[in-house]
Amino acid sequence: MAGALSDIKIVELGELVAAPYASKLMADMGAEVIKIERPGVGDLARTRGPFPKDEPHPEKSGLFLYLNTNKLGVTLDIATAEGFEIFEKLIAGADILVHNVIPPEMDRVGLSYDRLKKINPKLIMTSITPWGLEGPYRNWRAEDLTIWAAGGVCVLNGGGPEHADLPPLKTFGSQSGFQGGIHSAVATMGALFARLRDGEGQHIDAPMQEAIAAQLEMTFEYWPYMKMIATRLGQKPLQPVETFMCKDGYIYVCCIEEHQWQNFVHVMGDPEWAGMEIFGNRLARGLNWDALRPMLEEYVSQQTVLDLYKKAQARRIPFAPVSTMGTLLANEHLNARGFFVEIAQPVAGTHKYPGAPLKYEKTPWEIRTPAPTLGQHNEQVYSGRLGMTPARLTELKRKGVI
Amino acid sequence: MAKQPPLSGIRVCDFTWVWAGPYCTLQLAHLGAEVIRIETKTRPCVTRQLPPWPDGQFLGLNRSGYFNQYNQGKKSLSLNFKHPEAKEIARKLISKSDILINNFAAGIIEKMGFGYEEAKKLKSDIIMITLSGYGDTGPWKEFVAYGPAQVPLSGLSSLTGYKDFPPMHAGFSYADPNAGVHGAFALLTALYHRAKTGEGQYIDMSQWECAMGLLAEGILEYTMNGREPVRNGNRDAFMAPHGNFKCIDWPEKILDVTIDRWVSIVCADDAEWSRLATAMGQQELASDARFKTLAARKQNEDELESIIQKWTSAQTVEDVIATLQKANVAVGAVADSRYLSTDANLTARDFFVYKEHPEVGKRQHCGIPWKMRGTPTEVRSAAPTLGQHTDEVLTGLLGYSASDVEALRKLGALD
Repeated sequence: MAGALSDIKIVELGELVAAPYASKLMADMGAEVIKIERPGVGDLARTRGPFPKDEPHPEKSGLFLYLNTNKLGVTLDIATAEGFEIFEKLIAGADILVHNVIPPEMDRVGLSYDRLKKINPKLIMTSITPWGLEGPYRNWRAEDLTIWAAGGVCVLNGGGPEHADLPPLKTFGSQSGFQGGIHSAVATMGALFARLRDGEGQHIDAPMQEAIAAQLEMTFEYWPYMKMIATRLGQKPLQPVETFMCKDGYIYVCCIEEHQWQNFVHVMGDPEWAGMEIFGNRLARGLNWDALRPMLEEYVSQQTVLDLYKKAQARRIPFAPVSTMGTLLANEHLNARGFFVEIAQPVAGTHKYPGAPLKYEKTPWEIRTPAPTLGQHNEQVYSGRLGMTPARLTELKRKGVI
Repeated sequence: MAKQPPLSGIRVCDFTWVWAGPYCTLQLAHLGAEVIRIETKTRPCVTRQLPPWPDGQFLGLNRSGYFNQYNQGKKSLSLNFKHPEAKEIARKLISKSDILINNFAAGIIEKMGFGYEEAKKLKSDIIMITLSGYGDTGPWKEFVAYGPAQVPLSGLSSLTGYKDFPPMHAGFSYADPNAGVHGAFALLTALYHRAKTGEGQYIDMSQWECAMGLLAEGILEYTMNGREPVRNGNRDAFMAPHGNFKCIDWPEKILDVTIDRWVSIVCADDAEWSRLATAMGQQELASDARFKTLAARKQNEDELESIIQKWTSAQTVEDVIATLQKANVAVGAVADSRYLSTDANLTARDFFVYKEHPEVGKRQHCGIPWKMRGTPTEVRSAAPTLGQHTDEVLTGLLGYSASDVEALRKLGALD
């Protein structure tokens, strides 16, 4: 069985995370992706690692290798006239263009939907940008952290009121990029489905700031509904919902419903203090957290993570281990489900990677090829698809176009 | 001629609740699908009972800003499955739906009688997804998962935190919306496959697995080098400065919570650092040996940050942003909800939605995070009140008469 998107051809102009993640999601479901990188340097993700033995190498970046599976890699400088002409030829045969070229750069190189739609009226062009293609921040500089902050997430995370001096804290990694990527992929799939009906392509404007602001749980609505502001400095109203240290690692203790707390008390062997009125309900436990925390610390510190977790789960209490990379890789559940995949890439070697985000009954998620080396498929694409002669390729290479 | 939204004509039978599932079906509603949430008055959606509420008071199940945010543009059908008649209604709805979705723990939807095998009998090309915490198979499949606990489970917490502090959270139940939006992508992929082949299918989703791509860098650090990454606050190995900096503060508390103000600033390379130094009026720092190169800035990062902190602490967020964006330096507000609500960019782009709601009036809600220029998408209505569309669905779609509905209501099947 072929992947669900095996008839789809995508051109990606992607750097770092957002556009590469969007097209990876589709490539892993069978789409053909031609990834265009700048000659010489390539995708910035190639410089970010992690690298085996910490030795930076453009073909060994873990982030790049993860985000670019199943893609064909070509180099092309679309800022040159010749380069743009070749780009247009690739677009002529594509269903989708996914890019995260920022608007000022789009203007500079002349990348616009109006121009490309003349070549291919059925093209779906997805523009992932920090702030959107229109609006007062259109040309503003941004990095992953500044978008995460400006989308409204960063303010929620940090050391709490007892560490007010510590800054609002980012979540690990390039999360704005991932969220920009997946949200734009949803819109892109919507456009693809509409194209089956209408026979026409279209342009999608997918800002990362909005992808973040769209997922603020109940925190945004505190302002329009109650004129309150949720921040890292607020006290948690309900407890216990907190990280604790066990003998061998951390565990997340989570008793949101009353019956979960009662069951946890049983797990702890019904200690006398748990019957005190100041711990009588979840709000009281929140108010009296200073008194409750040491009691729980004392108990949890004598447990091991998996043992306490399984005892809690046996009573339907939603605790979780605070997974480390090591415990994830060794995890019995993930491994029984075959989550991690081993991918061999000729330069970087063979490593385990995160696998399918979902399991489909009929249309497979699969890794067919590892991420491309820089310009690996130049000949296959430029000669094989576009019919360029070896002499022409040499000339373009000399000029720095490819 | 105005085009229909992408998913017009697609119907979703939505058994989800809390956040992950509703975030999934919100994407489908955004794209124009008819999403019918199956609810019950006997066990209302958790988020209907959570704050925020207008005036801070819980006065009923239709007033939660949380529920009203993530259920915009959907319909609500109230059913009490203690009654076989209610189950029959659900079966009829499934037979007229394209997508069946739930986010119960593994096995629950089967026990209710709406598992994939039954659903297929009702609609041969149905597409079904279960968004569970752990997935449908594996030794932990029956474990319970709550939003906040999925962040530490995923591995993100052990990577997130201040240097020399314990693991931290993401600050919100991040794995929930992440699972929801990935689920929507999967459903759209399956819809596309069905359009080509006529074939439906089942999708097994583990929220946990869905979140692990987000920490690929951490996982690869381990599989390449056998090492756990070290938590390092807001810092980045390849950029400096890279952090949040406190701005001028004036004492403000809202209900005992201190409101402080920060900006985030990043310099991706030496040239950007030079622009920042100049913008701060301290051009000499650009060529200062302590900060000239990335390696030097990483070496002296405490000092670097305190210099920037000193500069920002005497200014407002707005002034820092104006100065630095003019200098082409990456900067943004560490926006809280009040800041976002008047954010110039989001406002100018009409990101926010104000739809009339019978019990809370017009409130500001976050809208659709993309603009589709060929097939415009819009939030069609405010979130439904509990059971708001019961009569409409029963009589308009499923062929019940008004007197049937009355009898069913008397019986309690529509509670």
